[in-house]
Amino acid sequence: MSKPKGDKQTFLFAFVILTVCSMLLSAAAAALRDRQQMMVEFDRKRNVLIAFGVDPVHEDGTRYTPEDVDRYVDEFIREVIIDADTGEIIPDITSADVEPRLLREKRKLPLFLWEEDGEVKRYAFPVSGYGLWSTIYGFLALEDDLATISGITFYDHGETPGLGAEVERAWFRDQFEGKVLYKDGEPVEFKVAKGRAEAQYPDMIDHAVDGISGATITGKGVADFITRDFKKYNKYFETIR
Amino acid sequence: MAIAKKVITDPLSDNNPITIQVLGICSALAVTVQMDTAFVMSLAVISVITLSNAIISAMRNLIPGKIRMIVEVTVIASLVALTDQLLRAYFFEMSRQLSIFVGLIITNCMIMGRAEAFATQNPVGPSLMDGLGNGLGYSVILLLVASGREILGSGTWYHLQVLPEAYYGNGLAVLAPGAFLILGIIIWIQRTISGNFKDD
Repeated sequence: MSKPKGDKQTFLFAFVILTVCSMLLSAAAAALRDRQQMMVEFDRKRNVLIAFGVDPVHEDGTRYTPEDVDRYVDEFIREVIIDADTGEIIPDITSADVEPRLLREKRKLPLFLWEEDGEVKRYAFPVSGYGLWSTIYGFLALEDDLATISGITFYDHGETPGLGAEVERAWFRDQFEGKVLYKDGEPVEFKVAKGRAEAQYPDMIDHAVDGISGATITGKGVADFITRDFKKYNKYFETIR
Repeated sequence: MAIAKKVITDPLSDNNPITIQVLGICSALAVTVQMDTAFVMSLAVISVITLSNAIISAMRNLIPGKIRMIVEVTVIASLVALTDQLLRAYFFEMSRQLSIFVGLIITNCMIMGRAEAFATQNPVGPSLMDGLGNGLGYSVILLLVASGREILGSGTWYHLQVLPEAYYGNGLAVLAPGAFLILGIIIWIQRTISGNFKDD
């Protein structure tokens, strides 16, 4: 800033600095994309494990590596795809074979089966929908009665830290365990209370959980989309129930 | 050499960006619930402010005065975006926990402040030192606040159990008001020791 510069130089300088900065960022984004994608994929798989009740941490406190997660997935988990219209399994394909758009629109539904000794012990499926600001993504696992929730996780969202983002905390998620999504022959309307579930929904405490203070809309969103997504899968569940 | 040393050590105590200038406290409150987030945030801020000071200082005679601040923000924002990309690729879990606060380093007044006040008027070497010093000064406070909050709030320090298991954890320390209280106490201690702060 030694001497004043003319408009021409100002424009030239702005042009050069913006070009350099954007080239640099584009290059970085392109170079890191594969690895970021891999981490996102790893995080998804890890969250399927968490929904199934596996704590992805070794006994010595270190976290599972992508290899550890893959080993689990290969050993216990099988993915099948359900056609949302017919409620039937489409044989011999996984979500990698399905057009991403159909997965996004939930016309083709991935279902994860936890198998031990050839028997399906638990079921897990992705759930997603709007909270307050953003789409929340998670996985929900059911016991083999196809009604009782055995675990839930949320792995991606843009809710407010400290308020809506609390959905990913253990205290909120742990409440879902043992609640039901299916009762007396039909799916229930799941509830996330504004405050205490005992106070607001005393008659439906088997399918209601406490809300997060300051995040009523996020909670309502969560309740609505797990109810909605369960109904989609229920078409298939009816055929094996 | 004496000056270079002063440029680094000053921001650690007598001219600390957080406790004396009270800059950058938004993130100091947001990421200090636990040590590990505070630590990664510190590293991110140190690298951004050191590099931004060096780069802006290197261009100081070329930057047109009219768009000076825009250029500074462009450089800082690029560095922050780059840091964010790297965290996503190599520290995925951490980048999820830090969420938007990495991006918000752009708005950390301390970084812009050092670019304006120091890097535009000094050669690259001292500017780099100034950035490093201020980054370290910021980090020291961040880690102190995080220590206080994690120990009081969870009874742990860097996930190591330091208080007896029976300690239930103080909810206040985990929430934002706890950060205000601890930061306030640190500022009080700092200003008592430094003793050179005049409130005119």
